[in-house]
Amino acid sequence: MIVVVGLSHKSAPVEVRERFATSADVLPAVLARLASRPELKEVMFLSTCNRVEVFAAASAPERPDGAVRAVRAVMCDHAGVGEGEALLPYFYERTGPEATRHIFRVAASLDSMVLGEPQILGQVKEAFDAATAAGTLGNYLGRCIHRAFTVAKRVRTETQIGAGSVSISSVAVDLARGIFGDLQDHTVLLLGAGEMAEAAAKSLGKGARHIRVCNRSFDRGAALAGSIGGDAVQWDALGDELVRADVVVASTASPNYVVTRDLVKRAMKQRKGKTLFFIDIAVPRNVEPSVHEIDNVYVYNVDDLEQQVAEAMKSRHAEAEQAEKIVTHELSEFEKWARGQSVAPTIVKLRARTHSVLMAELERTLGGRLRHLTEGDRAALQQMMESATNKLLHAPTTHLRDAGAGADGLDAVQAVHRLFDLPDDAEAPAGEPKREEREGGAGGSGDDGERGKGLPH
Amino acid sequence: MQIQADVSNFFVDGLFAATVMAYLAACALFVAFLGNERFASAGRLAPRLVALGAVLHAGHIVVSSLVWHVCPVEGIHFAMSVVSVLACAVYLVMRRRYHIDVVGAFVAPLALTFLLASRLVAATEPAQRYRSTILPVHVTVNLLGYALFSLAFAAAVTYLLQERRLKNKQLLGIFRRLPSLDALDRAEHRFLLAGFPLLTVGILTGTYWAHEVEAGSATDIARAVLGYATWVLFAAVLSLRAAAGWRGRRAAYGTIAGFTFAVLVLIVYWIKSASALAPVALAASLR
Repeated sequence: MIVVVGLSHKSAPVEVRERFATSADVLPAVLARLASRPELKEVMFLSTCNRVEVFAAASAPERPDGAVRAVRAVMCDHAGVGEGEALLPYFYERTGPEATRHIFRVAASLDSMVLGEPQILGQVKEAFDAATAAGTLGNYLGRCIHRAFTVAKRVRTETQIGAGSVSISSVAVDLARGIFGDLQDHTVLLLGAGEMAEAAAKSLGKGARHIRVCNRSFDRGAALAGSIGGDAVQWDALGDELVRADVVVASTASPNYVVTRDLVKRAMKQRKGKTLFFIDIAVPRNVEPSVHEIDNVYVYNVDDLEQQVAEAMKSRHAEAEQAEKIVTHELSEFEKWARGQSVAPTIVKLRARTHSVLMAELERTLGGRLRHLTEGDRAALQQMMESATNKLLHAPTTHLRDAGAGADGLDAVQAVHRLFDLPDDAEAPAGEPKREEREGGAGGSGDDGERGKGLPH
Repeated sequence: MQIQADVSNFFVDGLFAATVMAYLAACALFVAFLGNERFASAGRLAPRLVALGAVLHAGHIVVSSLVWHVCPVEGIHFAMSVVSVLACAVYLVMRRRYHIDVVGAFVAPLALTFLLASRLVAATEPAQRYRSTILPVHVTVNLLGYALFSLAFAAAVTYLLQERRLKNKQLLGIFRRLPSLDALDRAEHRFLLAGFPLLTVGILTGTYWAHEVEAGSATDIARAVLGYATWVLFAAVLSLRAAAGWRGRRAAYGTIAGFTFAVLVLIVYWIKSASALAPVALAASLR
């Protein structure tokens, strides 16, 4: 059974999350500690800015609580918070299908702070690679994570969950790209030298050819220009700068319009109609709204940008409904596979029992009445027994697998155990491979339920 | 002999049908790409289908001109067809350079329309009195000019779409799939710049040829007037852009107006061609 234990932006503030965050260099050690716990068969550790989670497969599927406690204990110990009793309310746990659903939703960015953001999938992949490298993933959890990648891919291609920009800076960058393509041959003018100007310079100024800073206080403008690799200009030169610039980010504290319609009209004449784009993130606004009406001039204020963000988020939430359907469908497919896995040990035992009985009888006969047979004849008889085993077990194996994929898998397993008097050791009702089946399992992909079973057919 | 003719016609028809299918598929893919962000791969595949359509189209022109013994640059029958192939070719060469892949969404239907239109106009052999050494030059430069103007038109329409979304602050939907305003404006201007000298030569040779054959029918005059109007409009768009900074929206409207006049010239050709054929068709039906 799969369990998930962790904290996220939904359950814990950053002050708590950061205590549990794990960097890539110590990750192998944490994974090793988790894997050393007998309650845990497979583990993976995901640590991002917004979540710290452990995905695990419990050794004893019927006792997931033990696995949950084990994970929490290792996490608290690693974070240096002792038993972590005070932090318990910040943790959440999921077990069984709900844990699988959670993993799928995380990978598909349905549980992200910014719905549909693309980074999380890469982070899950990194965590998966780390766990694979540490050898802490097996066929069961490994298959689950692979299925999560499939879910994420389907959600991204079959829905528009990632459509639109969902931050003011990305909307501004998108707009600049929509107008100018790239900014390599363009000049960005920062009006004002405050924090907002600096933040805008970081997102917009990256690809720009020139960044110029125009501030009432020249010294402050020069300081900002120096830190971002731009040039400071005098406040009086604003008119000339408007002729030169392509993107203007206005963020001064001026109570009146700094950029007026007349000023822009004059500049546009000198620019010979070249496109000019204003991003007015100041409140009160710096750019007269009617400037937007001038040909080839576009003004977007902070409300416009936030409106774009809100619309994109609304659109993403609408798409999330479709994405949840994909998650549910993939979850049922995975559960079907997992249930099919529950009968694998029974099939192995049934096969071993049949094979050993037939071979024992053959050996007895070959040592007695058929002693005179040549080596070739003996080999032929052995081959015959192998074929007989396969043919005899074909139908029961198929029915058992079908039953395993359905709801009555446990009944079928018990019936076969009784009928063939199979050894009655621990049988996994929710279906997980044995420890020895781990090798090669983590890298497995695709949907065939045969891998890892080790069943010749 | 009859069998050979049937085989040839079958081949020509087959190429025509294949071209139509390729253009239609390209149109459908462009629509899918522009309509929905999840069809990103459709946007990559569509220009390739335009290329396939253009190759088949060129094959159709060559084969049918051989089968029907008609020079591809004579007469309106092939003119429109050739224009669309040239437009596709220029688009395919320039689409990456100018970042205007999406302009194919206009080029493909334009090519399809011109191809179908060329089919509606029966092949006409220019009357002997119209034959002139200058005629092939006149038609060739005009065809190339039309191809470039149709691309400028497509870029202008796309520009206006994008510009309207920016002015109305509607950024969801196709905004992110259309080329940037700058790229569209630049492409439109360069296509106009390249097409304008060709149009000028076309106008000059057309005037000289008309003078030579003393053409004077109503359609000839209408065609000449519309041709001059086209030239004046494009000249105005280019001059105002250089002198008064008429870029973007105004330039786009000017380009669309100029191209509309250019298409009207073709329509007048078409009317003339159809009316010239009417007595022939009537005679054939009476026979």
